[in-house]
Amino acid sequence: MLKSWDTNLRQSEKKTLFSFFILYSFFIILLLSFISIAYYKTQKDFMLKDKRLELSKYANDEIKRLKYLHVNFDTVPRVYPRDKRFKSGIYDSVYTKIFSLLDSDKVDLNEDIYLQNGDIYYIKELESYYLGTKYVVIEVKDSGVWKRQAYENLVIYGGILLFAMLLMGYFLLYLLLKPMREALALLDRFIKDTTHELNTPVSTILSNIELSESVEVDKRLQKRLNRIKIGAKTISNLYQDLVFLTLSERVERKKEQVDIKKLLKERAEYFSLFLESKKIALKMDLKDGVTLWVDRNRLIKLIDNLFSNAIKYNKMRGGIEVVLRDNYFYIKDSGRGIEADKLEQIFKRYERADRSVGGFGIGLSIVSEIAQEEGLKIEIDSIFKEFTKVKVSW
Amino acid sequence: MRIFIVLVLMLVSLSASVYQKNCVSCHKKLPIKIDKFFYRYLLKYSSAIETKYAMKLYLQNPQKENSILNPALLNRFGVKKKSKLNQKELEKAIDEYWDIYKVFGKLK
Repeated sequence: MLKSWDTNLRQSEKKTLFSFFILYSFFIILLLSFISIAYYKTQKDFMLKDKRLELSKYANDEIKRLKYLHVNFDTVPRVYPRDKRFKSGIYDSVYTKIFSLLDSDKVDLNEDIYLQNGDIYYIKELESYYLGTKYVVIEVKDSGVWKRQAYENLVIYGGILLFAMLLMGYFLLYLLLKPMREALALLDRFIKDTTHELNTPVSTILSNIELSESVEVDKRLQKRLNRIKIGAKTISNLYQDLVFLTLSERVERKKEQVDIKKLLKERAEYFSLFLESKKIALKMDLKDGVTLWVDRNRLIKLIDNLFSNAIKYNKMRGGIEVVLRDNYFYIKDSGRGIEADKLEQIFKRYERADRSVGGFGIGLSIVSEIAQEEGLKIEIDSIFKEFTKVKVSW
Repeated sequence: MRIFIVLVLMLVSLSASVYQKNCVSCHKKLPIKIDKFFYRYLLKYSSAIETKYAMKLYLQNPQKENSILNPALLNRFGVKKKSKLNQKELEKAIDEYWDIYKVFGKLK
């Protein structure tokens, strides 16, 4: 699939977008939850309000029977008045149960009407305490119709509202990000155009220098030619990086068994002039027979970027240590190091821990991208002003 | 024999409770039964603690204002005399009165 560089948001921006969307969704769901709870409570209150009149009538009926029993307590059978329509209980002024037919023993006598475990309780306070009764409690089963209706409405309307708000969030985000997208697209287009213009002159310089190497020249001229070669190779590396970034999706990947020791030596040789120019001592401790099933060109890009950084950020007469073992290799420089708070950011595109030397800040972004695609793990260890060690393991 | 009967009567009078001796004995002579007073108290004070407290307060200091009798009966029978029982005896008598007529445990 062709990568539409101008319109696609890159990985880190997508991550930010995703985080924003998760946060936005969380707040929307939280808001909807509050609305749902409020709606549910309102529906419950409506139901209780509806029931209140009916239960109040039941309570009055019960009070009349209690009154009769109170007046004739010594002449009629002392049977608590029962009713098929409801269950009831009576309590005195200090909440002591006098008699109860209720399902629950825990009744909140301070309430007026409430729902508990599928039962509706209505509490009526008496003015005259028949049989010592201050509170009559009426209990009826809740049919649950209102609850089903409320859940149905919550699912239907809540779902529609959630969908609409998420959609609105998406468009809002799109609008907010538009200027940023345009700025990025402009930058990318500029780099892409520059890349195209770099290819021909760099190739010409490099091929001409290589041609001149067969001719014997005096030392001073050779030194100058070497400087031109370093400069041209630097531009060539940058060109390769930019090509990788802009066209990586279009380049076909070819995996093969790669001898890592051989490759590291080859790339060290490629950078020999750079090392020489800064008088950097290269120490290599490479184990034999370590191979990897990877895309050779991509691994070269990865190693080149690491070498390039190790040289670029190194001091004059510094050192570089390259170590290869069975399941890792690392390149360690004696450079300026990276501050701890910048370590996490350095894999981001255009991010540069040190701006005192040239570059676009795309090197480690490429390293990270290649490592991810080739299944390699990158670890960076650095002490500011002392060293930076990049370990590639598999 | 006469001495024996006197002794039995004395024993019976000694074994009778404070409530029986001091309350029931007098109320027997009244046209309104003692239980009617109890239900009037219950109707007004509801709980054991409040009912007992109201009874004690009235018996220690009987007033028209703190009587539970309706005005017609109050006019007819008047306010009773202050109880001669000490606090402990009074509480004991009221407790017994409560236990006899309370509604708790009597409903089916």
